[in-house]
Amino acid sequence: MEIPYYDKERPDTGLYNGKAGIWLFLASEVMLFGALFSAYVLLRVGAEPGTWSMGLMNQWVGAFNTLILIASSATIVMAWVCLKLNDWKGFRKWKWATVVFAFIFLIVKWSYEWPAKFTHYDVTFVTNESAAKVYTDVLGPEFLKTQPTIWQKRFDPLKKDEKNAPASQVKLKDKPLDGHIVGYIDSEGAKHEVGAAWGIPFWSHAFAWRHDRKNIEKERDKSIRYGEDGRPVYKEGHFRDTFRDKDIKAIIFVPAHGTWDHKEKHADSGTVKYAEANHDGGHAHSDGHGYTVTIAREDISRLSSYEPAHSTFFATYYTLTGLHALHVLGGILVMLYHLLPVSRRVYEKNPVQYTNRIEITGLFWHFVDLVWIFLFPILYLL
Amino acid sequence: METTTQPEAEHGGHHDDHNHGHAEQSFFTKYIFSTDHKVIGIQYGVGSLFFLLVGFILIMGMRWQMAKPNTPVPVLGPILEKVYAHEIALDGEGKTVPIFKDGKITASGYNQFGAMHGTIMVFLAIVPLGFAAFGNYIVPLQIGAPDMCFPRVNMASFWAFFAGCTVMTVSFFIPGGAAQAGWTSYSPLASVIPTDGQTYWLVGMVLLITSSLLGAVNFIATIIQLRAPGMTWFRMPFFVWAQFVTAFLLLLAFPPLEAAGVMQLMDRVCDTSFFLPSGVFASGTEPMNVSGGGSPLLWQHLFWFLGHPEVYVLILPAIGMVTEIISNNTRRPIWGYTLMVGGILVLGFLSFIVWAHHMYLTGMSSKIATFFQTTTMIISIPSVILLTCLFMSLWRGAIRFNTPSMFALAFLPMFGIGGLTGLPLGFNFTDLHLHDSYYVIAHFHYVVAPGTIFALFAGIYYWFPKMTGRRMSEHWGKVHFWGSLIFMNVIFMPMFIQGFAGMSRRMSDGGATYSMINNPDVTSGALTDSVINMNSMITMGAFGMGLVQVVFIVNFFWSIRNGEKINDDNPWKATTLEWQTPTPPPHGNFLTEPKVYRGPYEYSNPDIDNGEDFIAQNDPYKSASEEQKEAEA
Amino acid sequence: MSNDHSPEYYKKKFIPLIYLVGSILIVGTIITFAADKMGIAEKWGFINATIFAMSVAVVKASAVMYIFMHLKWDIKLKTISLTLGCTVIFFIGMMWLTVGSEIDSNKPGHEENTWNHVGQPEPETVPTER
Repeated sequence: MEIPYYDKERPDTGLYNGKAGIWLFLASEVMLFGALFSAYVLLRVGAEPGTWSMGLMNQWVGAFNTLILIASSATIVMAWVCLKLNDWKGFRKWKWATVVFAFIFLIVKWSYEWPAKFTHYDVTFVTNESAAKVYTDVLGPEFLKTQPTIWQKRFDPLKKDEKNAPASQVKLKDKPLDGHIVGYIDSEGAKHEVGAAWGIPFWSHAFAWRHDRKNIEKERDKSIRYGEDGRPVYKEGHFRDTFRDKDIKAIIFVPAHGTWDHKEKHADSGTVKYAEANHDGGHAHSDGHGYTVTIAREDISRLSSYEPAHSTFFATYYTLTGLHALHVLGGILVMLYHLLPVSRRVYEKNPVQYTNRIEITGLFWHFVDLVWIFLFPILYLL
Repeated sequence: METTTQPEAEHGGHHDDHNHGHAEQSFFTKYIFSTDHKVIGIQYGVGSLFFLLVGFILIMGMRWQMAKPNTPVPVLGPILEKVYAHEIALDGEGKTVPIFKDGKITASGYNQFGAMHGTIMVFLAIVPLGFAAFGNYIVPLQIGAPDMCFPRVNMASFWAFFAGCTVMTVSFFIPGGAAQAGWTSYSPLASVIPTDGQTYWLVGMVLLITSSLLGAVNFIATIIQLRAPGMTWFRMPFFVWAQFVTAFLLLLAFPPLEAAGVMQLMDRVCDTSFFLPSGVFASGTEPMNVSGGGSPLLWQHLFWFLGHPEVYVLILPAIGMVTEIISNNTRRPIWGYTLMVGGILVLGFLSFIVWAHHMYLTGMSSKIATFFQTTTMIISIPSVILLTCLFMSLWRGAIRFNTPSMFALAFLPMFGIGGLTGLPLGFNFTDLHLHDSYYVIAHFHYVVAPGTIFALFAGIYYWFPKMTGRRMSEHWGKVHFWGSLIFMNVIFMPMFIQGFAGMSRRMSDGGATYSMINNPDVTSGALTDSVINMNSMITMGAFGMGLVQVVFIVNFFWSIRNGEKINDDNPWKATTLEWQTPTPPPHGNFLTEPKVYRGPYEYSNPDIDNGEDFIAQNDPYKSASEEQKEAEA
Repeated sequence: MSNDHSPEYYKKKFIPLIYLVGSILIVGTIITFAADKMGIAEKWGFINATIFAMSVAVVKASAVMYIFMHLKWDIKLKTISLTLGCTVIFFIGMMWLTVGSEIDSNKPGHEENTWNHVGQPEPETVPTER
């Protein structure tokens, strides 16, 4: 039994089966990513002022990845054209180029972008006073003049009124300080180093995932608890707090440059101590070159790295890019299969069928590229 | 008919003998990992009928507990206690609290059963039965295709479904039990509920959605690509049209739920707050320790963006089957076939823009409620067109009252009741009062239970001879029909009254907490005795219903081996292509590639004088007037 | 259909087209990126910047769809592209509805509030028996 039109086109529809199938599949993919995009818009428009943590992305890396993916999209269509011209060598060349580009995309994402975020922390403070203490330490006594611009990029541009608020109205305790944890001080005053692995700051192992002051005071149980009536007691029991069982009095923190992108522009409006530290080349080095600040555990109301639970922005970011990365991975697997010797035999037996397969893979790959074309501006730029 | 029909003896049992250029298959590839659409259809059918039974058993336990609160459930109770004996959870002080105690279903157990009843019935039973099972078996046959477009994708679809079912089933037996947040899984409850059942539910849903997507792609591609020569769009049987639209609904409506499921999974596993607003209190006096900023409404929008088209996924295959069976058993062409096709296409499109009528009570703005109640009223027009066409088709028909035909006929008024009672729910101002009451339960069960399930029964009785070569017993079929019809109405009709009386749909004690007996100082608003007492009547109806289904189950299995043999490949004297093949059809379906010459409902056509009251779609017969026309041309 | 073209066509016409589209994509990316670095969000306002970035993205996407996914030659598939276009418009419309309703609901800072009566002193009512 043979399925008709599996390699040639049906005259009245002008399609072979695989092409009809892949376009339908892509339609459902449009709906999948469309739903996530809609969720992004809805959450962003509904976000409370100052909670949409935009502008923390490394835009250069994002742009680099965009160009890589575009290039791979062009190479895969070249591979298909080569097949059409019966040029097997050319096909392999372009196909391998596509696979390599796709791998570069994934490597950049999995080994640089995401790990760098997982070790990059935001600290919010218990009171305005404790926040002011730390910020004065970081930015010098005149930081109050500059502070509206400090968080500029952290505010959602939609919420204009918050951005232009006078300095006295900004609640310092809600404004996170971001940077890397390079060590901590225990109850006996001894310093411990954490951080850099293999000398690369962003590889520093995740020392703390999340810490929340509210939970220190409460004895919490990870297991499910049931009340008298047999119903479960809804507690935030499964939310993690990595500080809970550790002997930590204070953390040693290196503020990062993410927040202070505009320091040069506003250099005249205040002495920014951190800028000097940054010019020294201090990033998150544990050897003391960077400018470090000690933050007492009692002063921290929330500590979170840029993990999905950090904020709804990062939740959306990881879900969208994660799903996209899964598509890239799937594409790579299929393309590698097409480069195996077994596929060569398919080509020799039925070149039309093989070319169709490459075309279908290409259509999927272009869709993956299309998704990224939209992801890049909405996640990195806007 | 004479082109393909062979005597039964020649092909009975050994359908592989037909020379179709395929290798001999082992048992494993033939029946387990089969790529044959008919085997996959039967796999889907058996699986979904099993889950139909599971869902029904769950609701029987719930109904018992509602009729007799604080009384142990007979039979089911001791089993539950055994099954859940090790599911005892520790509370803070080391005390153990069972989920099912003394043979009674606790409130938390009731929530589990309720959530899983809905999930199983919708995603594991009706959709796989109506869409996947019948669609797989019938659609390629009806359009004259040798198989589905992508046989291996078809197999993958079934095994994804199987994996999803497994995850859902397993979730009953993990600590804490299955999902408890209702089949709609509204966040924040579903996000913060501490047992793992909800996580299993989400994983299971992602698998089921994947299965449906693969199936939908396959169906649409098959219908577009593999129609036999001459099978133009408007020569397709209406059942194929219904499956086509259904497949589009699945294709486009399911991905948003997949996205929502992934987001809720992130909420539960990675502690994100997609659906958790800032400062949400789960219990106690402290707000939850999450970043906040999410939107519970987002879940509802995404869920109901699937959820409403899903309703049409449930009903459209049923309407398709009923159309086939009514046309066949009234021996008349369908009245307004083109109108029905137009209606079903409009219905499919409109079903995407009515979803928020499930959400009038969520604090959406009144403007958006106005929009959605308008579209909801508009969508009732194509539904009524479909129903009216079917009623009109009965007019002056010589109706054969056999079992499939009776189920199909009963479908019409039952679906009518379900549809018409939906109107008050579609209006914003009436829905505010009826929302989440038993009225809603009665409404959608009238659509799905006596509606869709009757159509599915009709389909089973109708196509059973095609699948097995034997008929099911007519006598017991009629017993099954009349029992089902009576008990269905005994169950669901009183629920309208309960709903009007203000009984909420989620009460594990059947409303006893809010009864007048338990609230003597309340002078109005409490549930009266007569409303509470209806629970026992409904429960009796449900158990009667169960009894009648035993008749069906026995009849079904008995008939596979011992049913009356059919002596013709076309026992119902039908026109469509699936009856013009050997029974059961061989791998590859048709002995010669069929060629289609006419529309699907050529019954009692006075122009055609072939000694029968019907003419098959692939019959090259030309009537006198047609020959005359050709000669003129 | 693109499948029916001669080898000459691919060499002379299609490959240059691929390079053209590739450069359109790269230029588009650079334009968007540069515009962001120049701070158009502050200069033009956020909404205009969004419209700009999305327009560039749509141009890039259509180029990919028309040339790379060769919709241009798939005459029958033109209907699909039309459907996709309708889907996008439909989506934007629906999103506008839902987001609009979200803004419309009870949020501090929104003056056009449909729930304004909440918190207002209630008009005097006749106590009903309960």
